[in-house]
Amino acid sequence: MRNRTMKVVVAYLLTIFILLFLNFLLPRLLPGDAIIAMYSGHEVVMTEAMYAELVRMHGLDLPLHEQFFMYLSELAHGDLGYSYICHASTADLIMGALPWTLLLVGTSFILSAIAGIVLGVESSWRRGGRFDRSLLTFMLLLDGIPSLAIGITALTVFCLYFGWFPSTGAMTPYSGAEGIEHIKDILWHLVLPLATLTLSMIPGDYLLIRNSMMLTIREPYVLTARAKGIKNRRVKYLHAARNAILPFATRIGIRIAYLITGALFIETIFAYPGLGLLTYHAISNRDLPLMQGILTVSVILVLLINIVVDLMYKKIDPRVGYAY
Amino acid sequence: MHIKPFQEFAKDKIGVAGLVLILFLFTTAILAPVIAPHDPWDYSASSFQQPSKEHLLGTNDIGYDIFSELLWSLRTSILFGIAVAAITCTLGLVLGVSAALIGGMYDMLVMRLADALLAIPTIMILILIAAYFKPSTTVLIIALSLVLWQTIARGVRAQTLSLKTKLYVKAANNMGAPTSYIMYKHIMPELFPLYAMGFVTKARIAVFMEAGLSFLGIFDPTTKSLGIMMSYAMRYLYLDVWFNWLLPPVFALSLLIVSLGLISYAIEEIFDPRLRRNNATPI
Repeated sequence: MRNRTMKVVVAYLLTIFILLFLNFLLPRLLPGDAIIAMYSGHEVVMTEAMYAELVRMHGLDLPLHEQFFMYLSELAHGDLGYSYICHASTADLIMGALPWTLLLVGTSFILSAIAGIVLGVESSWRRGGRFDRSLLTFMLLLDGIPSLAIGITALTVFCLYFGWFPSTGAMTPYSGAEGIEHIKDILWHLVLPLATLTLSMIPGDYLLIRNSMMLTIREPYVLTARAKGIKNRRVKYLHAARNAILPFATRIGIRIAYLITGALFIETIFAYPGLGLLTYHAISNRDLPLMQGILTVSVILVLLINIVVDLMYKKIDPRVGYAY
Repeated sequence: MHIKPFQEFAKDKIGVAGLVLILFLFTTAILAPVIAPHDPWDYSASSFQQPSKEHLLGTNDIGYDIFSELLWSLRTSILFGIAVAAITCTLGLVLGVSAALIGGMYDMLVMRLADALLAIPTIMILILIAAYFKPSTTVLIIALSLVLWQTIARGVRAQTLSLKTKLYVKAANNMGAPTSYIMYKHIMPELFPLYAMGFVTKARIAVFMEAGLSFLGIFDPTTKSLGIMMSYAMRYLYLDVWFNWLLPPVFALSLLIVSLGLISYAIEEIFDPRLRRNNATPI
């Protein structure tokens, strides 16, 4: 167990190192000058005095280790820098967008997990049958269609062609709706991005669960359970599936990283005001402080989720306590 | 190895379907300069033409022939996929095998780095690097490979560790075979499934990433890319261009990724016979 803890801690430290390298060291290693890089491409005429003021403000005249402490203490205070494009603190911009991304990613995570597990279990139980074969083929095809393509198709069909769903935003602006109406409005805007993200996640979950169920079904304890005459559904879900979803639990952290990547494209397509759309705007405006801030927040988010999963994992699968 | 991979593959309908599709797309991409009816950088045609005999899919906002653009973009996607997959597999193989053989601190560092790279949404790293450096396609290929090697290295390392304890490897070692010989003769061939599988999965991720990143506007906008086509077509949705401009690249990208997915599933099934579909359930 100590070995495992150690492994996890080193991996986290390396992650944080990569983050610091990208956010702190890389801009300072750039050929030329961080200030010029940050402001190049914007319509700013830089005077000597402005330049000197900016260098002083960013602490670029200090020795490197003092710059590093300055960076760390700003980070610890939740100061992620200032976006000169949006004229707002990066942290505020991100905090405004984060809830929408969390709503989208969180709901999609739960929905795709449930659908993937149920379909995977049912499919493996009927292995080789018509249901299994057609579902597997369908899932393999769906798995191939990138979220980008699902999103664009959904947008053209349901928003442009039929006009059933709104094509932008997370709620109707200035509608003044309150209470139930307001929630309905938010859900209405959520439907398509959520469906797209969930559809793109289901095949991965399904294939994972199906494969792991295939191996679990052969275990002697499943045979025993069946021989005892326990109802099929009980054997499937309480005896076999409980163990078959273990590989799923280990991959939660990775899946969250996938979901965030998926959300990046889907939010851009549907102009959903989360971190993904913010990233897209940051890219098109070359807003470096904002990009750094988003990277920091998303990495911290993923790390926190991983820590929770790691802490829970021994509870989920007690064997890891002995195995390591 | 007791599996004859090629015979098994030929029997697998899903795999063969994927292979036929990919060969078709690959040939189209290779022959793009020959088949394309127009120069995709030629903007002399009038813009927003509907599909016609002259312009199979019409023309776009600045008068590019969309069909020719599509063929060239497919070429970019496929070349990008192959390049990234090749570099990633090599990197994963070298790091995985060396970690297994050297062990100790080195092993620890490489594997924890792999864990770290698995947890970070790597696309954010690429976006940041692209924003700093405005890199060329070659640099992006390398950058993408640098963040994708982790799964291959993990698999290769685990397999090498287990092979190291096999009797025939020990026998070769006792008879005085040098490590390089054992590597080359005994370990590398056994790892074949890992890089066959790895190559296809990584090519698939790379193709998706290329389209995705260019959709977000990371690439040089003058290159031909499926993602760039989509992102420009999205800007003119109100002109009803989705049928001839937006959907063709979406469809081409999906076809490419679907075929790679089918192949990778077939390979997985061949090397792990427990997963085969036609096996009757033992219970």
